[in-house]
Amino acid sequence: MEVEGRKVYSVRAFNLGVATYLQKLPTVWVEGEVTELRRQQRWATVYFTLKDPDSGACLSTQMPRGQFDALRLDLVEGERVHVYGRPELYEQRGDFHLRALTIERFGLGAHLAALERLKRKLAAEGLFAASRKRPLPRIPALIGLVTGNDAAAKRDVLTAITTRFPPAHVLVAETYVQGPRAAPAIATAIRDLCAHGVDVIVLARGGGSFEDLLPFSDERVVRAVATCGVPVISAVGHEQDMPLCDLAADVRASTPSVAGRLVVPDLGELRTWLDRAHEGLGRGARRVVERHRRRLAVAHERLARAPLLALERRTARLENAHARLRTLSPRATLERGYAIVRSGDELVRKPPAAGSPLQVEVAGGTFGARSE
Amino acid sequence: MSQTFEEAQAELEQIVERLERGDVGLEELTQLWERGEELYRRCAAQLTDAQGKIEELARRLDAQTED
Repeated sequence: MEVEGRKVYSVRAFNLGVATYLQKLPTVWVEGEVTELRRQQRWATVYFTLKDPDSGACLSTQMPRGQFDALRLDLVEGERVHVYGRPELYEQRGDFHLRALTIERFGLGAHLAALERLKRKLAAEGLFAASRKRPLPRIPALIGLVTGNDAAAKRDVLTAITTRFPPAHVLVAETYVQGPRAAPAIATAIRDLCAHGVDVIVLARGGGSFEDLLPFSDERVVRAVATCGVPVISAVGHEQDMPLCDLAADVRASTPSVAGRLVVPDLGELRTWLDRAHEGLGRGARRVVERHRRRLAVAHERLARAPLLALERRTARLENAHARLRTLSPRATLERGYAIVRSGDELVRKPPAAGSPLQVEVAGGTFGARSE
Repeated sequence: MSQTFEEAQAELEQIVERLERGDVGLEELTQLWERGEELYRRCAAQLTDAQGKIEELARRLDAQTED
């Protein structure tokens, strides 16, 4: 519009013009510290200010909340990040800000701090508890292997498995093992293998840089390992690496080869054990029969002696009774010098009339007498 | 003959103990003794039977392993 020969813009037109101009600027990476982070469940957008730690220069930054949450960065104030985005103007208010398309944590220190926070959080939930660890199946029927395609780690695990236990069945799930797509892909692979009925899962990846191994510390992967329906052996990186999935796994192997050796028994050893058990079985069965035979023999020997023994006891008892009976008979009394006096058939118990004929019995015999 | 080997063996041992204590009647004495002898024969036969089966099985398994 023209006013008194002057070209004048309405505020709205001006903002719109600047906004349109800004849209032509390229998308760029901006590095800064996260401050004034505002994220609320009911807001559609997450706001924070990127601050240059040296100059103190500030830049308002926005990102849709769904996109921000999907990154799972778990950002906190003061963290150094790289934000990929383009400048944008909010036309209604003329506010200028950076529209973030993606955010990456920058610097090892920040990564380590974030890992430490995640580790503490998951540990507090008990995901790493020793009580959650399950024993590996003795002889797995179907082994699941999560690994990168064409990876040395895959070859190492398979070689170790088939060397020790040739009849093993392995279901291999090839996934991304580094980069932004790795974490969800690994978590999905673990769940898919479970659905296919494997009874143990090996998660294997060879050594790599700290950033390369980060997907194995991603919360999604750690949770997939911890909640997996079957035991998980984690063999990620080298001995000194300790990604969080190692802590959540049921068994940690220092290398993929070690994982292969842990997941199956040695067939040779198994055969030796079986043979020994078989011999033991025969020996044990014979020993049981032998023990019963001896016990039976002892019982039989005692049985053979028992009736005679019982008869002897009975005879002894009879003799004893007889002896006692004898001491009670009157004859024993006569032996001691007493006499039995009879008048006719009657025992004389009081003095009889004078001149009565009497029979006197003593131990030696009987004789006649007369009372006076 | 529903008595198991263990039951027969236990009964035999009870009979022996009673006879050794000697507190049985004279008629019972011979009855118990005969019962004991019968139990012994039955147990011994079962043992011989079991041993035979074990040896036979062992021979058959040995033959299989050698294949």
